Amino acid sequence: MKFKIISLLVIAISIMPACNKKLDVAPQNTLTPSQIVSADDVKAVLFGGYSTLQNANAFGEKYNTFTELLISDNDITWAGTFSDYDDLANKAQTRESAVIYQVWANSYHTINVANIVLSKLDVITGDEKLVIEGEAKFLRGLTYFTLVNLFAKPYSAGNVQSNPGVPLILQPVSGYDPARDKLPRASVEAVYTQILADLTEAVNKLPEEADNFRATKYAAEAILSRVYLAQANYTGAATAANDVIESNFYSLTSSFDKAFNNSVSSSEDIFAIQQTSQSNSGTTDFGITAFYSGDPIGRGEIQITPAHIAKYEAGDERKDFFYDGSSISGSPGILTSKWRDLYKAIPVVRLAEMYPTRAEANFRKGGAPIGPNTPLEDVNIIRNRAGLSSLGSINSANVIVKERFLELAFEGERFYTVKRLKLTVDGHAYNDPRLILPIPQREIDLGNSLPQNEGY
Amino acid sequence: MKQKLWILMFFTFCAIAVKAQTQSVKGHVTDQDSRPLERATIQAAGTKTTVITNSEGAFSINVPATVKSLIISSVGYVQVEQAIKGNTMNVAMKKTDKNLEEVVVVGYGQAQKRMVTGSISKVGAKEIENQPVQSFESAIQGKAPGVVIENSSGKVGQGIKVRIRGTSSISASSQPLYVIDGVPLTTASQSDINNEPTNPLIDLNPNDIESIEILKDAASSAIYGARAANGVVLITTKKGARNSKSVVELNSSLGFSNPTVKRKFLNATEYVQAMRNAAATNGRYDFIHDNAGPDGATTAATEQEAVNNFVKYYEDNFLDPLSLGTDWRNAKVNTDWTEEQFRKNAISRQLDLSVRGGNDKTRFFASGYYNDQEAIVIVNRFKRFGGRLNLDHSINDKLSIGLNMSITRSQLDRITNDNAFSTPGQLLAQVPISPLIDPATGDINANTLYPNALFDAKYNSDRQITFRNIGNVFANYSILPALSFRSEFGTDILNMTEETFADKRTQDGSNIGKGQYFTSQNITFNTNNYFTYAPRIGDNFKLTTLLGMSYLQNDLRQSNEQAENYPSAAVKNLTGATTVTFGNSVNNRYNFLSYFMRSNFSFKDKYLLGFSVRADGSSRFSSENRYGYFPAASVGWVLSEEPFIKDSKTINYLKLRASLGLTGNAEIGEHQFLELFNVSNYPNLPGFIPFQLGDARLKWEKTTQTDIGLEFGLFNNRFSGEIDVYNKQTKDLLLAVNVPSTNGYFDNVNFLNQVLQNLGSLENKGLEILLNGRIIDQKDFKWSSSFNISFNRNKIKDIKGQVIQGSTTQRAIEGEPIGVFFMPKFLGVDPANGDALYLGEDGKSTNDYNAAKRTVVGDPNPDFTGGFNNTISFKGFDLNAFFTFVSGNEIFNLGGRFMSSGFGNGLDNQTIDILNAWQKPGDITNVPRAGVFFKTGQRQSSRWLYDGSYIRLRQLSLGYNLPAEITSRLNINSARLFVAAANIWTKTKYISDPEVNSLGTQISGVANITGGIDFYSIPQPKTFSLGLNIKF
Repeated sequence: MKFKIISLLVIAISIMPACNKKLDVAPQNTLTPSQIVSADDVKAVLFGGYSTLQNANAFGEKYNTFTELLISDNDITWAGTFSDYDDLANKAQTRESAVIYQVWANSYHTINVANIVLSKLDVITGDEKLVIEGEAKFLRGLTYFTLVNLFAKPYSAGNVQSNPGVPLILQPVSGYDPARDKLPRASVEAVYTQILADLTEAVNKLPEEADNFRATKYAAEAILSRVYLAQANYTGAATAANDVIESNFYSLTSSFDKAFNNSVSSSEDIFAIQQTSQSNSGTTDFGITAFYSGDPIGRGEIQITPAHIAKYEAGDERKDFFYDGSSISGSPGILTSKWRDLYKAIPVVRLAEMYPTRAEANFRKGGAPIGPNTPLEDVNIIRNRAGLSSLGSINSANVIVKERFLELAFEGERFYTVKRLKLTVDGHAYNDPRLILPIPQREIDLGNSLPQNEGY
Repeated sequence: MKQKLWILMFFTFCAIAVKAQTQSVKGHVTDQDSRPLERATIQAAGTKTTVITNSEGAFSINVPATVKSLIISSVGYVQVEQAIKGNTMNVAMKKTDKNLEEVVVVGYGQAQKRMVTGSISKVGAKEIENQPVQSFESAIQGKAPGVVIENSSGKVGQGIKVRIRGTSSISASSQPLYVIDGVPLTTASQSDINNEPTNPLIDLNPNDIESIEILKDAASSAIYGARAANGVVLITTKKGARNSKSVVELNSSLGFSNPTVKRKFLNATEYVQAMRNAAATNGRYDFIHDNAGPDGATTAATEQEAVNNFVKYYEDNFLDPLSLGTDWRNAKVNTDWTEEQFRKNAISRQLDLSVRGGNDKTRFFASGYYNDQEAIVIVNRFKRFGGRLNLDHSINDKLSIGLNMSITRSQLDRITNDNAFSTPGQLLAQVPISPLIDPATGDINANTLYPNALFDAKYNSDRQITFRNIGNVFANYSILPALSFRSEFGTDILNMTEETFADKRTQDGSNIGKGQYFTSQNITFNTNNYFTYAPRIGDNFKLTTLLGMSYLQNDLRQSNEQAENYPSAAVKNLTGATTVTFGNSVNNRYNFLSYFMRSNFSFKDKYLLGFSVRADGSSRFSSENRYGYFPAASVGWVLSEEPFIKDSKTINYLKLRASLGLTGNAEIGEHQFLELFNVSNYPNLPGFIPFQLGDARLKWEKTTQTDIGLEFGLFNNRFSGEIDVYNKQTKDLLLAVNVPSTNGYFDNVNFLNQVLQNLGSLENKGLEILLNGRIIDQKDFKWSSSFNISFNRNKIKDIKGQVIQGSTTQRAIEGEPIGVFFMPKFLGVDPANGDALYLGEDGKSTNDYNAAKRTVVGDPNPDFTGGFNNTISFKGFDLNAFFTFVSGNEIFNLGGRFMSSGFGNGLDNQTIDILNAWQKPGDITNVPRAGVFFKTGQRQSSRWLYDGSYIRLRQLSLGYNLPAEITSRLNINSARLFVAAANIWTKTKYISDPEVNSLGTQISGVANITGGIDFYSIPQPKTFSLGLNIKF
């Protein structure tokens, strides 16, 4: 009798201590910061940053689609059902828009990755340390440049000391501390200062060439040329563009159409987002191809107007880079071939941009051109590649700008040019707050001292 | 140290009652249904020697040789005196009263309802069996006060939202804990997250269920501690009967289902008319404003010219292409797309065979079942077959063992989620002038306004197959007459695969063909080990104490592969695809280690006292905050045992009870307290990416519940009832707190920037009333009626001022019930220009949507819910009419902005109210100006918010029991034939079926903040069925 009781108790109780230990269950699908210890681990975090750029909320789609819709003028129409996009095309974007919040949040995701990497450089030794630092600063500088242009008044609007930019966060945070984590908007000037510091350091620290289409010195310099253009620093812009061109690491593709829908970066891509069928920015409800490519590959909802097609001269190969298709809901329309195929590299900055940049910067600054070419020669390089004859002379910067617009159409670049040249689109002046995005209401609701943009 | 303490306690128990051995009589006491009767008193006649039975109904008594008989008594049963013959004795006791002496299952045991001090609702087998539902929860809707069940739609196999006494959490799950024969069940959807959640409870055969007990207050549920804050549903399956002839039971039914309601859409003539009206309205508006014409470059000289330009534009660009060249002007094509989404008379079949019986030592229940149910919507179909064996055996007087085991295969053919173009529900959006068959191809029309879901229905497939094995083995050992030990080892093994194929001809196939193979293996292992000690302490005192432990471990292993580029549809497996686009495997584990204790004490069966406590530890929290302690105390006073009532002719039962206790919630998923990185897969640059900010201080969400209840029986229990008031206060909410995005921990899968913290509080207060009456109680004619009504008031008390978004139009806001509809308030139409008007920030009306104030416009939580059941039997006939009702909630038709917005968001076919749209100045209407241009009123607003109240005749059935002379001639015990109708009558103001919760459980982490959303949802089925029940 007693024996039975005791044996039962022994069985029952012997289970208990064994169970207690079992309550420690480590994650099996994710990792904790304590597992990021080696140089390879820190590099992995850096590489995570590339995936945030590939995300549909960044270069994978919305850095492009949002800016193109906002300055749509009479070049594109929105033929879709997603109301947030419709709003952007109508300049009626709302502060509650979930997708605008996602762009904001994803950008800070990239910035956080850069900050985490920069805070853990100590575990990396040798030359690689400089490269990783440069790469992280490239990601951060590029992202702040995009963010400040999307959410703040352009640099060209002046008052850069007082116009609010975006919050500057340069250190990684751990946990959530409401008092610590509510940030103000830094001034446009302060954000640009940081962008220049990051990109300049990136230029100095990154190598000229890199495997796997990682950022290089020239990628940083090409972005730097955009920043200088935005600040109307034409010497800086011409110098940066010239460095990239004269590096001779890049060459224009033999014809215009070969610059797009490539499995990996083309010979003229200075920096491009890589995609594969396993790793891409989306196929059906988001991703650049989803909106630009016609049904059935994409939704075909960003359609090109005949007015845009009419801007090309006869014989321009770029004029033929469109096709008739329809949207997912059956609206017929003209579609661009630039983002026709899924899983292709997405150029962020191409050599073909550096020629008009150098040309325009040299033209506007006057005096002796930086680099071997005159503005006319640079513009003709782009024209000739598109199958057009050379121009005889350039009497206005507008000629260069027109060539820039046609060459870079629907690549998410026009937005920046419109702002810096103070152009009016769709009846909206360049500095109209309707041509930027509202600060997501969610961020303001959290008590951040983020003044909302005017008119939202 | 902790273990030592336990050992000491166990030995203390054992030391209490070691007595000298004499000659003994052993046996079992059961009730009339051969279920063991616990705590029955056995007295040696003429002496003061008494013992009581253990949880298995067994007793052993030592009596002097002079004693000739034993007197067996138990509260609520007729006392029996039985002569001693040999040294064994089995006694079956009869109940004194049918209603009040019922036994209810409680956590780790059972108790007489009369002696229970907690609030427990019981739903018996009769109310669950042979209902035209796939899952048993649907059958308890309206039957248990305080339990609100929301079906997501009329699709089969979909997730069901169940709330016991309201929603008690914001970010953690608010679904109750389900325990079947002691094994906690996996209830979370295992299926592909890109589709709607499915319901793992469909793997249970409702006809196997003996009873469902719903533990609502803290006194009854706190024994389940950290998992009990949402209430606990105990499912007990059917068991055999001791010493009874084997009974074979056959149930078979056949049903035909059709939608309860079809929305009213425009026909071809009306659609063309609505289009022309819209064009003309646009033309007049354009003439006054821009005068730019439909293409932005055509000015008109007169208003009529502008109108003509627009009408022509609509005809050329919309009507002509959509009609595929058919003669839309004469409505040659008039497709009723609404009809196309439904089956005509969806068939459901059910066949179910069981045997139950047993002898002195062994009892068993075995069943086999087959169900095949077509949804009213095309493609969607559910099949289930399986079997169950419940067996127990007494090895000797002290030791019995047994098992409960079920195995099921279920198969669900699915359609895509409500938000997909390819789902049949969205066929509503297609326009009536679009032909069904394209005259050019002779095949299904591929040039409809939106991708034609009929292609997807014809060529695509999504099949989920689940093997489910739920069961446990157990042993009971009577250490001493008053002390027994029970050990259970249970498991819930769920193995699911879901295979989808999208043909290249369909929208989802994107011209290349796509496939997915998803597997989920979810295995729960659970053991319960506990002592039950029920010593005898004099005549007036009774004590039952339970002490034990439980350990649960759950392992989830999932994998998912996606591939595309199919050469054709010949091979639909992933082997037929040529490019793999995604592959992963995911492993997760959680566990709970728990110790529990409960004591119930009664004095003279009149004064009742209960106390329980459970300590739970879980892997879901960091080691510092791992353990939670959940005590509960309760008191009861059976007033009807008091002398001043005892002899009352009117009141024959009256009990007052009160309870107070603490329960917890930890349903937040794994590793929420940790800061985490995900793996990222940029081409050739494999990386890590931060995605979760953790809070190491995370701990249990705590709900304190007070309950006061009154139970009564009047006029010889002809009229009985139960009234409960409760107050549930939840604090330390496990709340997903929004974090500024600048922190940079972006979950870019769910697009969230949150951290889970213990923050804030909410409350549920309510009143539940249950009334039962045997209105007519004659031999051949009986009419009994049961009515219940429950009121619950949910209020979010404190979330630090946050506004948390659920579905796009719903929020959690302080001071409001959870999930209120939050959007601009629609005020009607400006008669001058047809603009939609909204309530502005300044309190005045505005036509500027951006100036409109976002405000609380409605509440998806009902004011009250309930049911009303009537059973009438006359001779061999029985008639049952069961109504359920829900009142005071709102439903938002999220699809309204497409289907009722006057072409403001596309050319979708419109509901007929569009014909009342504003057309010219002075028109007084509630429908704003229609048209593809100069849109107004097309954005989300309270324009599409409706009263969701309804009363529904959920079940109407008529049965006939064959008279004994026929059954005996057929050599059967009994036979019942029945016809039944479900959902045949509904009264509601809502425009479609009011039982709807679309997208509800789909949105990650915010399921509690959604509800009452209709987005092209399939209505509930209206089912006619006929069936047969035979017992051999």
